[in-house]
Amino acid sequence: MTSKDLVLESAADRTTRFERDALVFTNQLYAAALRYTKNPEDARDLVQDTYLKAFSSFHQFEEGTNLRAWLYRVLTTTFINTYRKGQRQPQIANNELEDWQVAQAQSHTSDQGKSAEQEALENLPDSDIKRALQEIPEDFRIIVYLADVEGFSYKEIAEIVGAPAGTVMSRLHRGRKQLREKLSDYARELGYSTDAPAPKSKKKGGTE
Amino acid sequence: MSFIEIQCGDVLASVVFIVEGELQEIPQADAIQSHIVTCSACSAEIAHERLMHQMLQDVLKRSCDEQAPEELHQSIHSQLRAQMAGAGATEVVTQFSMTEISIEIDEFGNVEHREIQIEQTHIQHFIDDED
Repeated sequence: MTSKDLVLESAADRTTRFERDALVFTNQLYAAALRYTKNPEDARDLVQDTYLKAFSSFHQFEEGTNLRAWLYRVLTTTFINTYRKGQRQPQIANNELEDWQVAQAQSHTSDQGKSAEQEALENLPDSDIKRALQEIPEDFRIIVYLADVEGFSYKEIAEIVGAPAGTVMSRLHRGRKQLREKLSDYARELGYSTDAPAPKSKKKGGTE
Repeated sequence: MSFIEIQCGDVLASVVFIVEGELQEIPQADAIQSHIVTCSACSAEIAHERLMHQMLQDVLKRSCDEQAPEELHQSIHSQLRAQMAGAGATEVVTQFSMTEISIEIDEFGNVEHREIQIEQTHIQHFIDDED
């Protein structure tokens, strides 16, 4: 082998390759950034920072590995390191890592409960879905988003957020549970009956 | 293996693993699996959980599909180009090349000639952090 075989990619070629392979995810990353930061200005800045950071370490990225997952890792760590700093986020309680499987006493859902929950999900507008997602704690929100919108496996998510797989599974479980509870609450407010006791004294009919 | 008695509660607590298709990650996976088959309440619950999981993913995907504003696409493109211009100037390429030649002549006068070439290229990137 001669030195000519060693590909010396010029800065221009690398930029072109990066633009071709990485920029197709701009819309997706922006939608994720909106969920992370909760506002369009920060989301825009976050996506831009993500691409600049990813580009400056693109020579370390191994071709053939998952570029999308790598970009989400840059997005998520940038968000955690930069945008979250200074923000007073309610942190998840310390007992998170207690044995959550044992901790939860569960019972079967009634048939009415099942159909009511289904009805709620069928009827809620997008704005309520997004509102519910925004209201769950950040660490849960990120993981639920990565799993249920982006379709990453929990092992991929562990890499992206830099947390142990068990923690990811626990947060995914709790996050989805909280999300569904919130959606059921909204559905009840809108007049869809779910069989849980009404949380508020004021009653709302199906029509306004 | 089925000495462990599996209760409905154990199944319900493992729902997230079942729904994710990762039940094998749990030590008592086999016992849970056989409980589900025989317990109609649990199998109904799992069916419901799968359905809800699918529906939740569908509504989330439908709701979270914002398009990035056009100016964001533009500004990423122009910033990358600017960074490229900067990065090009601060890229140091070190190339090292060495050829080792050995010649051996054996007792019969045969000449054996060998060449070993070693090459190494090292690229260092210096990225200016503006912030």
